[in-house]
Formats: sequence, C-alpha cells, structure tokens
Amino acid sequence: MSQAKTMKHTGAQRKRKLKNTGNFLLNIPILLIILVPLIYTLSISLVDTDQVYKTLLLPHSIQFNNYVNAFTNPSYNFSRYILNSFIVSTSVMLCQMVTCSMAAFAFVFLEFKGKKILFMAVLATMMVPGEATIIANYLTVAGWGWTNSLHVLIVPYMTSAMGIFLLRQNYMTFPRELKEASTIDGCSNWRFLLQIAVPLSRPALGALGAYVFLNTWNQYMWPLLTTDSDTFRTVQVGISMLYDIDAQSMGLMMAGVIIVIVPSLSIFVFMNKQLINGLMAGAVKG
Amino acid sequence: MVKNPAKPRPMRIKKTPYERIEPYLFLLPALVIFAIFLYYPFARTIYLSTWVTDALGRPKKFVGIDNYTIRLFGKADFWASIVSTLKFVGVVALGGLLIGLITSLLTYNRYFGSGFCAAVYAMPVAIASAAASMAFRMIYHPTGGLLNNLFGTQINFLGGANQFWAVAAVTIWLQSGINFIFISAGLKSVPAELYESCDIDGANYWQKLFHITFPTISPTLFFQIIINIINAFQSFSQVKLLTNESPNSSTNLIVYAIWHDAFRAQRFETAAARSVVLFLMILVITIIQFSFEKRSVNY
Repeated sequence: MSQAKTMKHTGAQRKRKLKNTGNFLLNIPILLIILVPLIYTLSISLVDTDQVYKTLLLPHSIQFNNYVNAFTNPSYNFSRYILNSFIVSTSVMLCQMVTCSMAAFAFVFLEFKGKKILFMAVLATMMVPGEATIIANYLTVAGWGWTNSLHVLIVPYMTSAMGIFLLRQNYMTFPRELKEASTIDGCSNWRFLLQIAVPLSRPALGALGAYVFLNTWNQYMWPLLTTDSDTFRTVQVGISMLYDIDAQSMGLMMAGVIIVIVPSLSIFVFMNKQLINGLMAGAVKG
Repeated sequence: MVKNPAKPRPMRIKKTPYERIEPYLFLLPALVIFAIFLYYPFARTIYLSTWVTDALGRPKKFVGIDNYTIRLFGKADFWASIVSTLKFVGVVALGGLLIGLITSLLTYNRYFGSGFCAAVYAMPVAIASAAASMAFRMIYHPTGGLLNNLFGTQINFLGGANQFWAVAAVTIWLQSGINFIFISAGLKSVPAELYESCDIDGANYWQKLFHITFPTISPTLFFQIIINIINAFQSFSQVKLLTNESPNSSTNLIVYAIWHDAFRAQRFETAAARSVVLFLMILVITIIQFSFEKRSVNY
C-alpha cells in the first residue's frame, strides 16, 4: 500500500476511492431499513391530507397544519404532554443522580455492618424485570390515591441498581489516598461526596443522566397504567391515544410521533457518548 | 475488605453514634425506594398469585396454587401465549443479533461515510417503542401505507399470520441499535495481531471472519443474545399499539397478557401468577447466562 502510494499516487487514490464507494454502497440496504420509517413518518406529517395514503416516501407538497393542530387544537394537549414528560424525566434523572451517588459512595468509601448483604440486595433488584412487579406497584399507588399525578411517575423510579452500580465502578477508580487524605484533613463524608466525588465523576453522572432521561421520556407502560387524565398524560401515552381512523388523523398522529422523537434524537446526537456509555452500563443486567 | 498487613492501619478512634449510623443514611433513600417499589411488590405479586381477588385487586379467598394449576396451566390459551412468547423471543433475539452483526462488520473499517452509517445504525436505541409502533402503524396500513404503496399490494400486515412477523420486525428494528453498539465494541476489541498473522498466511476475508472474528467475539454475541431475549420478553407497547389491543394468539405475548388480565379482565390474581411465570422465565435465562460466563471466560 505505502509503496503503491509513492509510485503510482493517482492510481492508488482512485482505487481507494472506488473501494470507499463500494464499502458505502454495501450499507445502503440496512441504512434504508433504519431511515425510511423515520423519513416516511416525517413526510406523512407534512403532506396535504389528500396525499397521506398516496405518498411514496417523499412529500409532493408541504404544509404544517398537523403541527399547528397538535399545539393549538384544544382536543390535543401536546404542549401539556411535553411539559409533563419533561418534568418527570428531569426529576427522575436528578433524583437518581442524588440517590445513586449517595449509595455508591457508601458502598465504596464507608465501612459498616451488613455492607455485603446490602450490596447483594441492590444487585438482586436487577434480576426482577419491572413488568413482573408492575401490577403490584399499580395496586400500591392506587391504594394511596396516587394515580393521576406527576409524582406517581417520578417516585418509583427515584433510584436504580444500574445507577448505583455505574457510579460505584467509577468511584472505585479513585486512588485510596484521596479519601484518606481528605479524612485526615477533617473533610466530612458529605463534603467529600459533594466537593470531590461528584465533580470527579461528572462523566459517569452524564452517562447516567442521559440514559435515565431518555428511558423515562420513552416510558410507556407505567404512565399508561397510572394516569388517565389529560392533565398528567405523558408524551408516549399521548401519541398512542391518537386515532388512525382517517387521513387527517393519520397526519396528526405522524406529527405527534415526530414531536416526541425529536427530543430523544437530540439526546442521541448531542449526548451520544454519554448515552452510549449509559446504555452499555444499563444493559449489563440480566 | 481486603486486608493489607504491610500498610500501617490508621489509629482506631472510637466512632461516635452518628458516625456509626452515617453509612446507612447514605443508603437510606435508595433502600427505601427499593423496599417500597421492588421488594414489597415482588412479595405482594407472589402473595396475590395464591388468592382470588376482586376487581380492585383485593385478595378475597386463599386458593393456594389453583391460580397456576387451574387458571393458567389448565388453559390452552396460556400455553399458546407461552409458545408465542418463546417463538417471538427467539425470532427477535436472532434477528437483532444478525442485523447487529452485519452492521458492525460493515462499519468495522473506516471509509468515507462509515461514521454516518455507524450513527444511523445506533439510532434506534433512542427511539421509544410506543412512538415507533405508531409510525409503523402507518407503514403497515392495509390500503395506503408505505409497504402496500411500494409493492402495489393491499396486504393486511397487521392481521392473521402476518401480525406476528409485523410485531417481531418492529421489535428487531428497535433492538438493532443496541445490538450494533455492543457487537461493534466487541469487534473493536479483537487484537489486530490476530488478523495480521492471518494476512501473512494469506487468509481471505471469510476465513478470517469464521476462524478469528467469530470465535473471539463469541462471548459478546452470547451476552447480546441474552440481552435480546430479556428485552424481547418485556415487549408490550408494540403488541398493544400495533394490534390495536386485539392480538391474535400468535402475538398474545406474556406482558400483554399480564396487562390484559389485570386491566381488561380485572383478574389481578392471574395477572400476578403470570408475572411470577415471567420472572421465573427470565430467572432461568439469567442463570444460564451466569453459568456460561463462569465456564467460558476465555472462550
């Protein structure tokens, strides 16, 4: 390769370019499988109503009625759904950052009776799928009269074994001397956590935050069970309530899907590294 | 903790009462949430599964294992649901793995556009199953959807025998991103020297793939199959939204059946018993994962 480069510069370049194009072309089938559903959804949300059932991928004409409708028509309270989902996702994210940092700190830096058993108890929660306890959880919150509220969507998710585990792994990379030295200097545990451990674990907190926000934003089953009023509806349940009876509602439904996907994709694009780190930590459960 | 006799131990100072309880204060918020929303409902689910409940889920009459033996195992549609779930899980696990493997191999080398392709392949991880299900409802539309328009057909993708494959395809689409991310990471961890020594021996692409790549990344592939299985077991919104709350027996997957028992049939006891069955099935998968990981750390 390097010899060819020096001897026949242009030939080698052309060959590489050809190979490049060939490599890219091989990707096209699966690229289409992933992208076409999204492009098509966007197109349907933009075309005139009479074009909905005739559109082949790209729109002939463009109008924004569906988006205007989604936000201004009183029968679809999209701004409310978005606000609800935003409040819930942000609260769950912040609460998990706090509770998981605290728990991980205790497991790494403090000595106490029952540490091993408590850590096992945390790990054991990873073995129980959320869907297996969702009915009992519903009965609990219904018994408290918590249904149709925002806190019913937040409180059960205020901590996670995945978050504790992720931050614990992170704290374990700190040099031991760091904690010992600050203890000798009279730094309390709370101050150490707030002023040293948290700032040093910013990348891990970012990963946790991106992952938890996205997961909560994308949640469907729990909000479906616990909220049935428009006031507390979240985005995923909101779009699933739209009907596909005629072309007009189809366009609105697709606009709803796009509105809901935009924040998810923004996290994917702008916090890609954190999200993928969070996902990789989140999947390491079984 | 690990004892290190070479290290001088710090002087033991008697702990104040506060210092003794402090560690538990750090753990308290997490443990309280776990206790209320994980341990307790787990126990309550098992408890409820041994009672007959009223329409509000209150236990009324103790029946022991009758909910399992009579109301589940004795019914043909329970077994149909289990068989469909297992078939679905198998199809999704392998389908997701295959797409993940192909996309990771396609983007292994760097070339113009490879970064873009990698971003697109990972993208489905960000998309909610509910949102994707609504989008695919339009794509599958029996008269004016994308698929029928493309092929000039009028196929009812969401009815009859097609329903199973329509729901499975959406689930594979949703899972493809996480498969791509993990398998890509696995591929990048294969030591380059292995390939170099094969190049010297004159091995071609496929020989390298089957003799170096696959054996080396087999733990990653195994791990990914487990993740796919666990995720597929938990599918709910696809089933509910794509079938418009009326799945046929091929798509009456276990989590949908749990939801239907509780919220459509008001049978909280069978919902609880089914939840226990779901837990046990996932437990078996987890145990298989652990035992394999112990045995095959070095492939």
